[in-house]
Amino acid sequence: MDLGIKAGDKVLLVWNQPSSPLALKELAESVGAFIGTDGKISVENMEMLLLSSHRPSSYDWVLSCLLIDSSSVHSSETLAEMARVLKPGGKLIMEEPVTGTNGYSVRTAEKLASVLKLSGLTSVAEMGKAEMSPDALSSLRSSTGYQGNSLLRARMSAAKPDFEVGSSSQLKLSFGKKTPKPAEKPALDPNAAKMWTLSANDMDDEAVDLVDSDTLLDEEDLKKPEASSLRATCGDGAAKKKKACKDCSCGLAEELEQDTKGVQKASLPKSACGSCYLGDAFRCASCPHMGKPAFKPGEKIVLDNNTLTDA
Amino acid sequence: MALPSLLVLYGSQTGTAQDTAQRIGRQAQRKHIQNRVAPLDGYNVAHLISESLVIFVCSTTGQGDPPDNMKNFWRFLFRKSLPAGSLCQLDCAVLGLGDSSYPKFNFVAKKLHKRLQQLGASLLSPVGLADDQHDLGADAVIDPWLASFWDRASALYPSMNTVTPLPEDQPLPPRYTFHFLEGVGETSGDTERNSREQRVPSESHPFPARMTSNQRVSHPSHFQEVRLIEFDISDSNIEFTAGDVVSMRPCNNPEDVEQFCQQLRLDPDSQFILKANDSTAAPAGLPEPCSLRHLVEGYLGVAAVPRRSFFETLQCFSTNELEKEKLAEFSSAEGQDELHAYCSRPRRTALEVLCDFPHTTAELKVDYLLDLFPPIQPRSFSIASSPLAHPGKLQILVAVVGYKTQIQKPRRGLCSAWLSSLDPSQGEVRVPLWVKKGTLRFPADQDTPVIMVGPGTGVAPFRSALQERIAQGKAANVLFFGCRSQFKDFYFSAEWRDRVEEGQLKLFTAFSRDQEDKIYVQHRVKEQSKLLWDLIANRNAYFYIAGAAKDMPASVCDALKATFQLEGGLSLEESDQMLVAMEKAGRFQSETWS
Repeated sequence: MDLGIKAGDKVLLVWNQPSSPLALKELAESVGAFIGTDGKISVENMEMLLLSSHRPSSYDWVLSCLLIDSSSVHSSETLAEMARVLKPGGKLIMEEPVTGTNGYSVRTAEKLASVLKLSGLTSVAEMGKAEMSPDALSSLRSSTGYQGNSLLRARMSAAKPDFEVGSSSQLKLSFGKKTPKPAEKPALDPNAAKMWTLSANDMDDEAVDLVDSDTLLDEEDLKKPEASSLRATCGDGAAKKKKACKDCSCGLAEELEQDTKGVQKASLPKSACGSCYLGDAFRCASCPHMGKPAFKPGEKIVLDNNTLTDA
Repeated sequence: MALPSLLVLYGSQTGTAQDTAQRIGRQAQRKHIQNRVAPLDGYNVAHLISESLVIFVCSTTGQGDPPDNMKNFWRFLFRKSLPAGSLCQLDCAVLGLGDSSYPKFNFVAKKLHKRLQQLGASLLSPVGLADDQHDLGADAVIDPWLASFWDRASALYPSMNTVTPLPEDQPLPPRYTFHFLEGVGETSGDTERNSREQRVPSESHPFPARMTSNQRVSHPSHFQEVRLIEFDISDSNIEFTAGDVVSMRPCNNPEDVEQFCQQLRLDPDSQFILKANDSTAAPAGLPEPCSLRHLVEGYLGVAAVPRRSFFETLQCFSTNELEKEKLAEFSSAEGQDELHAYCSRPRRTALEVLCDFPHTTAELKVDYLLDLFPPIQPRSFSIASSPLAHPGKLQILVAVVGYKTQIQKPRRGLCSAWLSSLDPSQGEVRVPLWVKKGTLRFPADQDTPVIMVGPGTGVAPFRSALQERIAQGKAANVLFFGCRSQFKDFYFSAEWRDRVEEGQLKLFTAFSRDQEDKIYVQHRVKEQSKLLWDLIANRNAYFYIAGAAKDMPASVCDALKATFQLEGGLSLEESDQMLVAMEKAGRFQSETWS
């Protein structure tokens, strides 16, 4: 199975009952061989996927129901969830029973492709069809009541678009003309100009018909930004970045340097820092005087009992 | 081809959008682009059809509403009669400021963008949706949006690429020049001349109301200081009804004024006249001549938390290497995280920042004072009394704001601390104020019951409503009031007791800390489900919520919907729809504040 999975990729493997645990283990191991030690593989049951609330945009691949015994039909919620956890540009490879004519429980391949697009995925393609195994067939028949004969399993691939939904600052769409030039502007209809000016000179008229502004908004407008798009890019919003002051003499600058080299530090020396007397703008993150105004010239630096912890 | 001329129009409620608009104006100025910056309602909209390049900067406020200074423009723009091609000559873009914790996030900007398209305008950029909820605040969206806008504008006007912009650390000319008067005479009228004008007081012409009483109504042992303050508004031409709101501009406290003048080596008693350096009008509310003390005490927002533009302007004066570097960092896009940690998160005031940069402060030119500091923002309070019960008077309920951040000196609310310091028993106290219509509307019909949920200071507009309704003989009133403790902050308890005894009020109280379990107003609402269902379903009752935003309004709504389900047998969806229908019909109203 050569899908293009690379070393270091993060893969989510989704399966559903009934399924052979051995086959699942073998699949996981073969994926593991592709991604190597830097990659990550998570295995999730389809029923649990919606409850597990994986972090958004975190997987390069979602592989769903690729085992020969699989017979599950993916719900719209499941597909939307898979789209959510995929990174932009990430890929979904899934298999599902398909049939010749649309039934209420099993879809045609075309309908499946359309459903994948509606979940927010692009580049939807059918990779191939194969026979269903007898076990898969019988479990499908009993779980959905489907009686038809023309059942096959289809493998579909799809990708998450390269832009994040909801982050308006990233979109590069341009509305209106592609290369706008002032020279191309249409002339203003004199009647329109007259109407506008008349209205503008009559601003206080209360009895005018107004467009209901709510009707201008569509579904996209009602969406809120994704929580992850609101975080500052440098690490957690909660953890404050430690910084050392310019002429740091308290050891924090060395500590920060060593931290980036991956060396563990025991404790922080609390000797006087060269910048304590300046205001908060210049103090280092560990300064015991943080929160106080700048010292006046000649003022002694006194640490009160509250700021002296371990000596 | 010539350089374009840019018009920046803004709708701003708390000054943020205005500050952003001015920042865009300065960016244009550095690119040598002619620009005008104006509030939407201060601009003659008839000219919009002949403009060529406009940026709209609009906040969304209240319940998805446009700010006050663009309300007229808003109503004009949505007239059905405006022809679809009206704005075909216009290239423009919309930048919205909002907060995604509110349900109608940036609705004003989104709607404006679509309406401009409908009217034939060419939108150069996608609508910018700045969000206060972002870790780095609105700038996280604004900065890239602006960079992208300038790119698109220079594709339209290639001549922009041929001019060298003024570097960031060179100061732009100030908007005003101070002409100091020789010979310090009498300090001229610190308050606006008290002319007996016949017009209704407004923001530009407030009424100097005399404070008649200022009483603490929460128990002295209670952690929160809440005051009932009364003003005399006889002969003011001010009229108001229940639900209306009074606004006032607080003054800076005298210690801050002294410290500011010391830091900048200014003589507070010196007097000056302002001359505008371009077509910007002189600011309203400053007497001529004006003393520096009056400017710093009553006009300059030195106790406000400064925005990025403050640091951008400040860095231009700095010659001290250490300070200049730090100011440049705080002005840069990359430094916004640091700025947020230094300034916005601990709520550091502009004056405190100046004290951290003493060398730069000493080099500040006084001409730049109005560029550096925004005017003090007015604060609004729901009026807590009715003229029918207290004629010629206006009362407000004020909780004094105080909290601790990383900074040692505790933070105090400017307006609430100022009001609490005013003592009418020590001498005449006058506060210039004006009244605006509120959003709450009470039914005119005699028999329509009114159900009000107003914990804490949220009870203020409801006291006004109750006094008004009872004076009008409307006795179908239900109030849910919540506070911490029956003996510490149950203000107006005696007044409510009298109303209940007279059969004019049903009162349900929740004292959250008087027992081990926290009991809140929403619990009482749930307990009264039978009564509420009867009033709402059978007697057309109106339902109101007022008070602090955050969790209370949502919890009360949930309790109300639970009532619909329990007593009315509705499903979850049906109870949602019932509440939506009530809101559309004006029978469910809320006024909450953060």
